[in-house]
Amino acid sequence: MSAPLTIKEKLRRNPNWFTEGLYAYASVLPALLVIILFTIYPIFYAVRISFYQNILTKPNSHPFVGLKNFHDVITSYYFKNSLINTGIYTIASVTGVIIFGLIVALLLNTKIRSVNALKIIILLPWAIPAVVAGLMWKWILNSDFGILNGILYSLGAIESYIPFLANPILAKLSLIMAHIWKEGPLAAIFILAGLQLIPNEFYEAAKIDGGGDLLVFRFITLPLLRPILLVVLVYETMTAILTFDLVYVMTGGGPGDSTALISWFAYAEIYKFLNLGTGIALSIIIALITLILIILYMRALKTEDAIS
Amino acid sequence: MKIKPRALTRSIFLNLLVLILIVYIAGPFIWVISASFQGENELLKKPPSIIPKNPTTDNYRYVFTGQVPTSYEVTGQLRSRISQEARLIAPALKNSFIIAISVLLINLLFATPAAYAFARLRWKFRNGFYNFILGSRLMPAMAIAIPYYVIIQSLKLMNTHLSLILVHSALTIPFSIWFLTLYITNIPRDMEEAGLVDGCNYFQLLKNIVVPMILPGLVAASAFAFMTSYNEFLFARFLTTSIASQTGPVIISSISGNPDVSYSLISVCLTLGMIPPVILAITMRKWLTEGLSSTITFR
Repeated sequence: MSAPLTIKEKLRRNPNWFTEGLYAYASVLPALLVIILFTIYPIFYAVRISFYQNILTKPNSHPFVGLKNFHDVITSYYFKNSLINTGIYTIASVTGVIIFGLIVALLLNTKIRSVNALKIIILLPWAIPAVVAGLMWKWILNSDFGILNGILYSLGAIESYIPFLANPILAKLSLIMAHIWKEGPLAAIFILAGLQLIPNEFYEAAKIDGGGDLLVFRFITLPLLRPILLVVLVYETMTAILTFDLVYVMTGGGPGDSTALISWFAYAEIYKFLNLGTGIALSIIIALITLILIILYMRALKTEDAIS
Repeated sequence: MKIKPRALTRSIFLNLLVLILIVYIAGPFIWVISASFQGENELLKKPPSIIPKNPTTDNYRYVFTGQVPTSYEVTGQLRSRISQEARLIAPALKNSFIIAISVLLINLLFATPAAYAFARLRWKFRNGFYNFILGSRLMPAMAIAIPYYVIIQSLKLMNTHLSLILVHSALTIPFSIWFLTLYITNIPRDMEEAGLVDGCNYFQLLKNIVVPMILPGLVAASAFAFMTSYNEFLFARFLTTSIASQTGPVIISSISGNPDVSYSLISVCLTLGMIPPVILAITMRKWLTEGLSSTITFR
């Protein structure tokens, strides 16, 4: 450690030292103020409120209850189940999103002429509100008037209309399919960006060696895509765990609690059971789970960087 | 030249795959637009027609003028399936627009100078502040929804445009700063150094040299901020209570929650709601794709 520099020393090294610093602080200050008001303060507030009883039907009684809210959440009837549901949903939808993204990106990276149409529309699902996407699918899957049932029926593939969103397993699958539709395009764009970084020489070399498409994919594309796939994997995992809008408009958590993901219960605690304390306690638990994932993500990225 | 059979099957397979993907991606859009031009009686047939047999603009007319579509009067049984609420979509989308445009402007105004400071200037807490700003976005929305509610209430901003403008700005500025910092870091420095020698101050450097060079980045950042705000649902649901400030997604979800509402009218609302982002996504496709790609490939 060197001794702290005197102002004179700093000025000698960089004559603009003072104005540069001053200008930098002034530039960052407005953005920083907005972010502090809407990040630091809310986090402290959320942590504080989670230690108190805060039930909207008892507005005048907020005793300190310590960790009771957290205890209530963990021992609640839904906690274990919704964690399992969220886990299944996350694994299935992230796998789906990545496979979809890989297929679309590989196609977009070829010279087939029909992919130009795909290029134009690929961003659309990503661009629209999740609420709109969820309602579009909800209605396509409708058990009485849905177009999917109509098409399958006309083709003779089914004998009677299927209640996609009323059957626990089909409802889960429907939700996952809508999620892949909405999130897949972003993964495709990211993976395509990764594909375009792979120098052509690699493919040419493989061609000379007589490698088929699958071999080239397995031994050249996939290993070189690893860093990008890792970022996509973690980003999509966080998105899937925090899914709320889709559940809200498509299934409302039902039928039963079969599509009630963990974020849905954070909402239900607050809006249905009117219990802010447990709602926030649950939100904090969700935040901790994602935080752990983010840390794993940073670590994985660092080791990737160290390798490359 | 003779085409090898293997190359032909490969080509057929790949084109078929592309076709399936196009149907999967575009199908829902085509269907909801088609449905918005069908009368309720036609829509509730089994099976419904994909292309409207008697296309009608009645549903749109109802949403904008309140004139009840004729198809509802003909079939007595379905007469109740009309919802006044659907008429709120136009003012709701106007709210969405006001909020999203304001968020976009605040992003440009606040994030550009900040990004310049992070990318180019030397100052003490640069890395600390940078990590703090990026880290602030990692908080799951649900966890801070209630605190936001309390803050907005104590600022006496409940059910105002300003509340959502503030919240959406706080949500989008970190991304904009990060994105623009990456962008500025990746452009050459020579011009700015020449400017410094000529005696420009930092603001002039930013305004006259850097901003023109990062215009594509600014356009992409604006589009991201606009879309994030326009599409946001959770906070809008928590912080608005009436049509004075309720946004498109809030009204659309509330309309569809009404068991009495007609599917034609939902389709109209969905179609209207997705027009702005769809136009953005198609017209600015190249910039958006490049912007998204750069977030993952720039280091």
